[in-house]
Amino acid sequence: MKLYSLSVLYKGDPKAVLLKAAYDVSSFSFFQRSSVQEFMTFTSQLIVERSGKGSRASVKEQEYLCHVYVRSDSLAGVVIADSEYPSRVAFTLLEKVLDEFSKQVDRIDWPVGSPATIQYTGLDDHLSKYQNPREADPMSKVQAELDETKIILHNTMESLLERGEKLDDLVSKSEVLGTQSKAFYKTARKQNSCC
Amino acid sequence: MIPRKRYGSKNTDQGVYLGLSKTQVLSPATAISSSSDSTPLPTPVALVPSPPDTMSCRDRTQEFQSACKSLQSRQNGIQTSKPALHAARQCSEFTLMARRIGKDLSNTFAKLEKLTILAKRKSLFDDKAVEIEELTYIIKQDINSLNKQIAQLQDFVRAKGSQSGRHLQTHSNTIVVSLQSKLASMSNDFKSVLEVRTENLKQQRNRREQFSRAPVSALPLAPNNLGGGPIILGAESRASRDVAIDMMDPRTSQQLQLIDEQDSYIQSRADTMQNIESTIVELGSIFQQLAHMVKEQEETIQRIDENVLGAQLDVEAAHSEILKYFQSVTSNRWLMVKIFLILIVFFIIFVVFLA
Repeated sequence: MKLYSLSVLYKGDPKAVLLKAAYDVSSFSFFQRSSVQEFMTFTSQLIVERSGKGSRASVKEQEYLCHVYVRSDSLAGVVIADSEYPSRVAFTLLEKVLDEFSKQVDRIDWPVGSPATIQYTGLDDHLSKYQNPREADPMSKVQAELDETKIILHNTMESLLERGEKLDDLVSKSEVLGTQSKAFYKTARKQNSCC
Repeated sequence: MIPRKRYGSKNTDQGVYLGLSKTQVLSPATAISSSSDSTPLPTPVALVPSPPDTMSCRDRTQEFQSACKSLQSRQNGIQTSKPALHAARQCSEFTLMARRIGKDLSNTFAKLEKLTILAKRKSLFDDKAVEIEELTYIIKQDINSLNKQIAQLQDFVRAKGSQSGRHLQTHSNTIVVSLQSKLASMSNDFKSVLEVRTENLKQQRNRREQFSRAPVSALPLAPNNLGGGPIILGAESRASRDVAIDMMDPRTSQQLQLIDEQDSYIQSRADTMQNIESTIVELGSIFQQLAHMVKEQEETIQRIDENVLGAQLDVEAAHSEILKYFQSVTSNRWLMVKIFLILIVFFIIFVVFLA
């Protein structure tokens, strides 16, 4: 499960403009990194150009999956992840990032912006945060916590069963104790009454 | 906001725009004129006419203004003209803002009306999902910006409120309040339209499921009938299948795919939510089991308690018995000692006196 890039684009009429992007290319060898980055930028632009407004789509490219979300106001986001990464989390991330972006960056700057001029720095944080979808996505987080709770509860059940066995032992032992004490009392009384 | 606005009004021009805009644009104007009844003198310029294309009655504002001016000059002479001019300029600025907001409001109302018409359409094949989505988005943005503008207007009124007269202030407050109430009613309408839309979507899905499941259930039936039963029945079932397939024209299936693509994300969200829900239900049942088991163990614990208590009683009773016995034994020993003493004494006497 890995995210490779997260980019925000503006879907212009003929071409898509890259507004801001964040990359995580640490898994590639040092010499490939720049070309990989370039390739990812190109792919993102191409995908945004080919997908319609207000649509979500997932495109498979070799073993990578590109999740794209174009809002109806032409702002688009692309996430490139490996095929294991859950698409729902990717779309949640896109929605969140685009919302944030549209709040922080003025609408007028969208068609003319470039990575150098746009002042929005949240992408890298989001990218590193969403590397682990279990932590970042609230729904998966809740799910994971619930699973944990379930395991804990199962453990509790087991210990409760053990406790039940021990209690049964205690019951039998206390019964033996009761009969023995009764016998003790009887012999003591016999001792007393005989002479 | 500005480009959106243009686009929206252009879009709605041919539709319901005229019918609604008349009433909507009029309403701020009527609010202005009604509230200005109490303040005719200091706010002559507040009665700037609404755009002529939307006015249905005759525009007599100019006459009224001139009458006002003549009245004013007759009453106060020249000395009051300067502050009045200043106030008038402020006032006109305020009126301009108010009018702009009113216009925007009416535009948004028109869009909302269009959305309502689109959303209330029940047909399965003529569903303009994209348009509706876009309109919804636009209206949402419009409402937001209107909210912002009204807040600005309020700030403006507050800033200028201290300088201008009481009447002017109440007048502007009335305008702001009326604009706000318009906006509130519009957002209510918007909400109800959205509700209608979701309801429609639900119904459509139900119908689609009915039609798309039908052929699947008819398929296994057909071969059976062809094999043994009368041929007419088989043909009949096939005919019904044909009918069912006809419903799934390429157009429909294409639409289905499109909608499915759009829905996949929502579907996956719903699935996850369902997962979470089922896990929570499971957890609940586990907790119940736990409670049940703990309750069961309470009985065994009570039994242990009783046993231990009984043993304690028995042991205490035995202890007291043994104590008693011990006491009796010790008292017996003294007796024996006494007897022995007496015997020894007698023995000594016997030995001394008889030997």
